[in-house]
Amino acid sequence: MKTRVILFLLLAAVAASAAVLLFQGPKARAPVARITRDGVLLEEIDLDRVAEPRSFTLEDGSGTNTVQVERGRIRVSAADCPDQVCVKQGWISGGAVPIICLPHRLTIEIVDGGGDLDGAAG
Amino acid sequence: MKKRLLCALLALSLLTLPGCKRAPEPVEVTAFAMDTVIQLTAYDGNTGGTRAVLGGLTDRLAELDSQLSTTREDSFVYAVNHAGGEWVEVPDSAVLALLHDALSLCETTGGALDITAYPAVKAWGFTQEEHRVPSDSELAELAKKIDYTAVALSDWAGERHRGGAALPQGMEMDLGAVAKGFAGDLLAGEMRDVGITSALLDLGQSTIVAVGSKPGGKPWRIGVVDPAQPGSYFAVVELENCAMGTSGGYQRYFEQDGVTYWHILDPDTAAPARSGLASVTVVSPSALICDGLSTALFVMGLKDGAQFWRDHPELDFEAVFVTEAGEIYRTVGLEGRFSLAEGYEGREVVVLE
Repeated sequence: MKTRVILFLLLAAVAASAAVLLFQGPKARAPVARITRDGVLLEEIDLDRVAEPRSFTLEDGSGTNTVQVERGRIRVSAADCPDQVCVKQGWISGGAVPIICLPHRLTIEIVDGGGDLDGAAG
Repeated sequence: MKKRLLCALLALSLLTLPGCKRAPEPVEVTAFAMDTVIQLTAYDGNTGGTRAVLGGLTDRLAELDSQLSTTREDSFVYAVNHAGGEWVEVPDSAVLALLHDALSLCETTGGALDITAYPAVKAWGFTQEEHRVPSDSELAELAKKIDYTAVALSDWAGERHRGGAALPQGMEMDLGAVAKGFAGDLLAGEMRDVGITSALLDLGQSTIVAVGSKPGGKPWRIGVVDPAQPGSYFAVVELENCAMGTSGGYQRYFEQDGVTYWHILDPDTAAPARSGLASVTVVSPSALICDGLSTALFVMGLKDGAQFWRDHPELDFEAVFVTEAGEIYRTVGLEGRFSLAEGYEGREVVVLE
């Protein structure tokens, strides 16, 4: 009798493990663009769910950045910063290289892009 | 007997129940300092404590930045640049250590790294992003003013309690090529001191420092930007208690009359360094070495850079060179830590020995 109880518990534990593993399983990773200014989150955009291309402008005391979004990718299409580094970088869709507008302290990074990188150098 | 076996199995399966094991949550802090975005990410069970530590570190960064800025009129570097040859007291021992390290790297690299190129950087307009191309005679004059051996450094503990620095009239220094690396080493050291065993310090991408490994024990995987397409990366370098730094012409540049002029200047000519390289990445336990040498090797070019690597095993570094033609070279010590990224698998990599 006792053996059965233990056997049952054993099976339950194994089933629980399997269930947890299954539910944890390979996550469906969608690229999400995270826009922050000075480390403060301004907007999060699920790039897989962008049905229509759109563009919007972010403005604060330091100036403006016009952000363009299409399915799966994002870029800064115009900005009034002096160096235009953010505009020159063009579209990003994943990877570990964020768009950074230093003069406006604005960053756009892709999180959960499916990449297995922890960072980028360059 | 059977019962015991089952009991043992049950105990084992309970122990390995995956739900019990949770990856620690990252604590992230972003700071704007040293003309870049700095991101510190630490994995630690003690989230509250770690956040406080990272907050303290960003304060330290801001302090260092305020001492090393070339443009803030109350900074130490500004004071040295405008003291007309007079001695200026260093604000603290860290800055003195940085100056010593920087000058020693200038010497080791035979002046390929030179911290006194600031007047030339200004003349090209890279400080205010108001770019212009100086004339040949102007460049010749500027090149004469670039000479790290003219920096006087004193550890003297008399009137200037913490030591002092001086620079001849008309010369100006800029620690930008080494400051981020120095800060990276400083911050990583303070993290290790408080017991943080897993963290990644991103000092504006050009300098990355890994403290320990990832929470699971695997090395950090860092992409290396393709200089021909700065939106993507061509290779992955694995880091464990190690730093890396990249210098590339694509990082800051301007175009005029169809010519690209970038911010990495050759101290000999005061003009952008055209050595045939598009980027250099240095991997070393010391972030300062990574930062300073990536610039110096870029100036030297592939042939001299590779020879410098062979001649200086004591500096304990490895390197990845990408030429303007897109050829990839890496040193042999990166074996097992370097791989080509997705989409670049077919590219040939020349291994330097």
